[in-house]
Amino acid sequence: MLVIARKAGERICLGEDMIVTVLEIAGSTVRLGIEAPSEVPVYRYEVRTAIEEENRAAAATGVEELPTAKKAEQG
Amino acid sequence: MRVPSTRFTALEVDEDAVLTFPDGLIGLPGTTYTLVAHEDGSPFHWLHSLEDPRVAVPVTSPWIFFGDYEVRVTDDEAARIGLSEAGQAEVMCVVRAAADLADFTINLAGPIVVHSAKRICRQIVNDSAGYSVRQPLFSEVELSAAEPAVPAVPVTAVAI
Repeated sequence: MLVIARKAGERICLGEDMIVTVLEIAGSTVRLGIEAPSEVPVYRYEVRTAIEEENRAAAATGVEELPTAKKAEQG
Repeated sequence: MRVPSTRFTALEVDEDAVLTFPDGLIGLPGTTYTLVAHEDGSPFHWLHSLEDPRVAVPVTSPWIFFGDYEVRVTDDEAARIGLSEAGQAEVMCVVRAAADLADFTINLAGPIVVHSAKRICRQIVNDSAGYSVRQPLFSEVELSAAEPAVPAVPVTAVAI
């Protein structure tokens, strides 16, 4: 892991075409501007992790674990 | 084409039933899937990998359970799957099963958006309205008549 100190208004380049700008530092919160090609997905870490966890948990579902149609409609 | 499956032995999948995820599904392998009906009339389908016979997740239309659900697709994300208007899109959400129906949840924060005609899909982040990745699926009222789930016997791959 690389650790660098940056001030508000300063930037970091990731590869050839991604730039992260420190827009504002207010208390414990840092606002970042992220410029990246549209094919590069950018997620908040905890959101991505949560979705990943749900997908993996769902993928462990066996056929017998889903209710039948009748059960699902009734509850 | 014939596709192996640990859940259904094998699936017969028409070419036009292939769903492509150019960026994959978050945390799961592969880029091609198909939808398998859980059983006739069921609100659930299996989004089944065409590359890994073990990988399938239960999905459903969020509007069956949450009539006022909203999905916001950014222009960038829409462009990624070739969407230019909402009418071209279908949406499904991943369901997490549990021993009790009361513990079933649906991921409303990470819906899968499908370009219906092109069958290109993308799982997006839809957290602007405070939706949960683990929203309980069945309400108290619906649960009052609940019984334990019994095995179902679904088999056919279907086009959406």
